Amino acid sequence: MSVTTARGQREFLRKDPKPEVTMCSLISGKRLPKAMIKETRRAVALARQFNQEVVEPRALELDLQKMEDPDYLPWDLVEEANRRGFFTLFEPKIFGGQGVNLPAMSYFSEELASACVGIANVVAVHYLGVATLVATWNVRLMNRLMREAAEGERTGKPSIMSMAITEPAVGTDVCEMELLNKSNAAFRTERVDGGYLVNGMKHFISNGHFATWNIVFGYEDLDKPAESVVVLAVKAGTKGLSLGRQERKMGQKACPASELIFEDCFVPDENVCFSPHQARKLRRPVIESNQQLVDYLSTASRPGVGAFGTGVARGAYEVALRFARDTEVMGKPLIDHEWAQILLSDMYANVFLARLTYIESNYANGSYGMFKMLQAKPIFYATKYTPKNILDRLMSPILDQPISTWLFRKMNYDLWKSEHQRIVDGLSSISKICATDLGLKNCQLALQLMGQAGLRHDGKVEKHLRDSKLLQIYEGTNEINKLIMFKSMISNLVPNTTMFDE
Amino acid sequence: MCASTSQELQMLDTMAMEFADSELVPGREESDEFPFKPLFGGAIRKASEVGFFSLMLPDEMGGANRSMKALCTVLREVCRVDASLGGIIFTNALAQEVMMNAGALDMIGRPGTAGGDPQEGLLAFAPFDNPVETGNRATARVVDGDYLMDGRVEYVVLGGLAGRVLVAATIEGQKDLSFFLTETGREEVMISEPVVSLGLHACPAVDIDFRGAPASIAGNQGEGELYLSQAADRLSVACAAMAAGVMWGSFITALDYTRQRFQGGREIVNWSQVRMMLADMAIKLKCADLIVEAASTSVDEAEDGWQQASRAAALHVCPIACDVANEGIQLLGGNGYMHEYGQEKRFRDAHHIQLLLGMPPIRKLSYVERIFDGEIH
Repeated sequence: MSVTTARGQREFLRKDPKPEVTMCSLISGKRLPKAMIKETRRAVALARQFNQEVVEPRALELDLQKMEDPDYLPWDLVEEANRRGFFTLFEPKIFGGQGVNLPAMSYFSEELASACVGIANVVAVHYLGVATLVATWNVRLMNRLMREAAEGERTGKPSIMSMAITEPAVGTDVCEMELLNKSNAAFRTERVDGGYLVNGMKHFISNGHFATWNIVFGYEDLDKPAESVVVLAVKAGTKGLSLGRQERKMGQKACPASELIFEDCFVPDENVCFSPHQARKLRRPVIESNQQLVDYLSTASRPGVGAFGTGVARGAYEVALRFARDTEVMGKPLIDHEWAQILLSDMYANVFLARLTYIESNYANGSYGMFKMLQAKPIFYATKYTPKNILDRLMSPILDQPISTWLFRKMNYDLWKSEHQRIVDGLSSISKICATDLGLKNCQLALQLMGQAGLRHDGKVEKHLRDSKLLQIYEGTNEINKLIMFKSMISNLVPNTTMFDE
Repeated sequence: MCASTSQELQMLDTMAMEFADSELVPGREESDEFPFKPLFGGAIRKASEVGFFSLMLPDEMGGANRSMKALCTVLREVCRVDASLGGIIFTNALAQEVMMNAGALDMIGRPGTAGGDPQEGLLAFAPFDNPVETGNRATARVVDGDYLMDGRVEYVVLGGLAGRVLVAATIEGQKDLSFFLTETGREEVMISEPVVSLGLHACPAVDIDFRGAPASIAGNQGEGELYLSQAADRLSVACAAMAAGVMWGSFITALDYTRQRFQGGREIVNWSQVRMMLADMAIKLKCADLIVEAASTSVDEAEDGWQQASRAAALHVCPIACDVANEGIQLLGGNGYMHEYGQEKRFRDAHHIQLLLGMPPIRKLSYVERIFDGEIH
């Protein structure tokens, strides 16, 4: 076989690692609309302005406020982000959003996280709710809830989302259907006339105290949760839903981690995003479709956490750089010490490497995942340049029709190739693992460089360190993400590999 | 209190363990909320009563005859539960050590025996900084034969608590460092609000501004660097003991949790990766204990190269404690990040402890420099 023929090349390229994995950026680059660059630059500028005007003056003070009063809720931040349009910035225009491309959100998140991961999370967790809703491809509800967020920005009354999946006894299990079926899932969604009756508790729910809409995972059959996933949109104030306490976290204090308590909470059919009944209409077995749902959500959210990791790595680096510039050690500026220069270079490289992981993951998503449709040039430019009122008038009634949900689910569930699912899933986990580890690493390096000054709250870097640790835990611990990575990128190379069955 | 034989050390270990479990465990979560909640004065008083603040003093002053093993034993047990008290014991011991190196034993006093508040008998000090390297020091001037201090010293541990503070300062017209003892209650000693910091929350620190504060010199003019260096030689291993204590607490908590928690239908301790992480923690902990044991013995017996052993122990063990504490959170997942389980506190405390005695990179450079100079080998 020779590479001089196309067939020969294909043969060689069939071996791992395949170009689809190693050349995501190269492959997708030419397909992407050029206007994404301008949009992304604008998103970064918006984030920097927010940092300068709001986050930097407020982050340390707010952190202290939460230490003194753990129940304090910084509504002012939510309202300010709402005023600036952050909760619709990355929502598609056909759903009433501003339609900035989705990969731009990672850059935006990196910027915010470089100043405060907790505040970044207040904004980004809304999009975790959005991503979960989108992963169900229930177009009618997507249209309704995202338009409510837009209305909330217009009226000045934030309407933001949270995502509630973790239970007190079920954490890591939720990532994988194989684990979920063996778990102690206790969140019951019972099918009743006209909807679901919900009982149970969710905890560690970021933004739970702020959310207008909670996108909630439950199970019809607690003996077989992986085969009976139900996703519901539950509005704050619904009878039977109450807020428990805020968790006492080490860091990311700006963003509440809440308990949501459901006691005979009735959720009508119109607020059911996804159900076993709907899953049975899809081409794949229900358990596989439920895994697709979780994967869609995770492939969007994990690079976002990777962007947080990049941001906190950068925040720590920037603080360390300023300290090295302004401080004398052993009679000369710290920055003139060779070892300090090397340490700062290591930190810079860590930031760069972390950023590459989320960029590459997003490229993969644009080629093979959730982002693909919106980044197709005809759709991108059509939605970008069609006036909003025309889009609203034309699209909204169509999106409310059941056929829209059917069509989107057909394209995104039934036609999503398993191979593509694996690539996007694997790269998203790589970004989550690597960028968050590098984020923590940079905080530790900054602390070493700054010594005593780094220990002080007003030195900023200790807060970065506390904030960074959570990144290795949420959106699946880095350990479960390594198993997901193995499953997605490696296990198919070794047939008959068993997983989750020791 | 004397603790030179293995039996005496064993008794001290048991006593420290019981003290930590009875005095520190119940209020640990609340005491970690200082300065937003009151300081654990009761625990400090009890620690004083059992002699934890006299361990570095000679036998005749009720101490453990400067036994480094005794200090390390107590610090490890205390830090297993709450490193904040360990920080207080360490800071006081470090200040005492500097004073003794300066030949100023008579100025130290005996903590807890003055009949008043035992906190008053403690010595405040800035243990996270080497003023020789960073210039975090006051200035002293001579007026009518007495010393007056000016300037600002940052992050003075126990500064808002102890009756006296030992401060590094440069005497006007001189370049080298000297140490001065002054009272904290004077109006010329301006003490800030407690500094909010990463870890060791109940080991309170403040910034102090001196405005012509009368002070007594400890030892000779310009020999402060020597006194501090000698103290760091001995007490570095105590930092390693504190780190080992934090590792121990983190490991035990993780072990208990992984036996109780289920994921994927089985106890998480039965996931092989969880076992791998526990094994890594246990191995690092064991090695840390061995290093502390060997280095503290080396210090007590003044073996050849004991200074090297002590300093290397701290520089090696402390960053490992940060790794272990990090894994300790990870094994508890989201719960590890929450106050209730104590792991997040250990993570913060481990990172805090590694900076005792100054910036680690500079301490490493100093270590190798002394090899070049033939001081250690």
